[in-house]
Amino acid sequence: MLKCTFCGRRAAYNRRYAGVLLCDRCLIKSVEKRFRRAIAEHKLLSPGERVAVAVSGGKDSIAAMHLLVEHCGRKNCELVAITIDEGIKGYRDQSLPIARENARSLGIEHYVVSFKRTFGATLDQIVRRAKARKTELNPCTYCGVMRRSLLNQAARELGADKLATAHNLDDEVQAIMLNYVRADFSRLHRLGPSYPPREGFVPRIKPLREIPEKEVALYALLRGLEVHLAVCPYTGGIHTEIRDFLNQLEANHPNSKFMILRMFDRLKPQLAQIVPEFEMRRCKNCGEPTSANICKSCELLEGLGLERRQKTLISY
Amino acid sequence: MTCIKIVVKQVGKRHKRELRLAPHATIADLLRKLDQNRETIVVRRNGKIVVEEERLSDGDLIEILPIVTGG
Ligand code: SF4
Ligand SMILES: [Zn+2]
Ligand SMILES: [Zn+2]
Repeated sequence: MLKCTFCGRRAAYNRRYAGVLLCDRCLIKSVEKRFRRAIAEHKLLSPGERVAVAVSGGKDSIAAMHLLVEHCGRKNCELVAITIDEGIKGYRDQSLPIARENARSLGIEHYVVSFKRTFGATLDQIVRRAKARKTELNPCTYCGVMRRSLLNQAARELGADKLATAHNLDDEVQAIMLNYVRADFSRLHRLGPSYPPREGFVPRIKPLREIPEKEVALYALLRGLEVHLAVCPYTGGIHTEIRDFLNQLEANHPNSKFMILRMFDRLKPQLAQIVPEFEMRRCKNCGEPTSANICKSCELLEGLGLERRQKTLISY
Repeated sequence: MTCIKIVVKQVGKRHKRELRLAPHATIADLLRKLDQNRETIVVRRNGKIVVEEERLSDGDLIEILPIVTGG
């Protein structure tokens, strides 16, 4: 049996990048401390704010919701939860009840917004259409763009001051690498612990950004939280290759993920100076903020012969 | 040297497997054999989450829980 570096109890986690072993209690304490530190250091939340948290039911978002509810209790913030139901059979239909149940047990208002109602098609249907039309866009492109747009709109309609997402260290580093590989400058420069306010956008915050995925998972499991642990049927493609590559790198060279993040954070202020400023407009189809004539979601829908059905998402 | 015998269950897969390993083998050795990256899984040994450096004992039940889900 191997012992916790800090208290001598049985170790549950080897934090190799720091050269320490942690028991269940010390791991939980450490994750909570990092979460609080991220909020303080990057001024993610102010007392009295209304926060919307995006909750899928997976380990990250369930952990984020539990961490936020405790934080909001202390700082007098108000928390509401939003789940986007993309319509992924055998996946989202299983995680959604878990999201709902966690919100209920914590006494948090919970809103569900579905692709089906808003766009007239589930992601499963969208993927079938995309295949039939040979668009060569992968499911995650549709899913990601449309979900982001709905989350922002729902948070705005709910009067949220901040939109919290559960992106962990791994998610963030994968996004950094993906934008490098695609040379997507404007997306790259939008990454970070928070995204500054722009008209029509609820400022996003990522309080788990400096916590590795495995530690978030351990936090959820060791606290005995009810989470959905299944793999989305659409994972694959370049996202998965980048993820596997980074995990291999980390396994052989612990701390690599943090180094990539730190390097990016140091470069970011320089990036801001060279990214062209663009004017915010309103999508002529749906009214959501965009830099073009129509927003990315509406553009994707158009390419599939679909259109947005519902303008307002949240009805009280 | 006699081998140790352990049972491995990969959560999400139906079957349990019985494996023989060298005495003093660790969970990390087992993961290498199964081509599993420790970054993407959590290991339970006889029901307890443990570090990959623990040595296995004869009769251990090892559960491997994938944590990388995508989305
Ligand atoms: S893996 Fe892709 S399709 Fe599945 S939930 Fe994530 S972004 Fe959506
Ligand atoms: Zn400890
Ligand atoms: Zn639009």
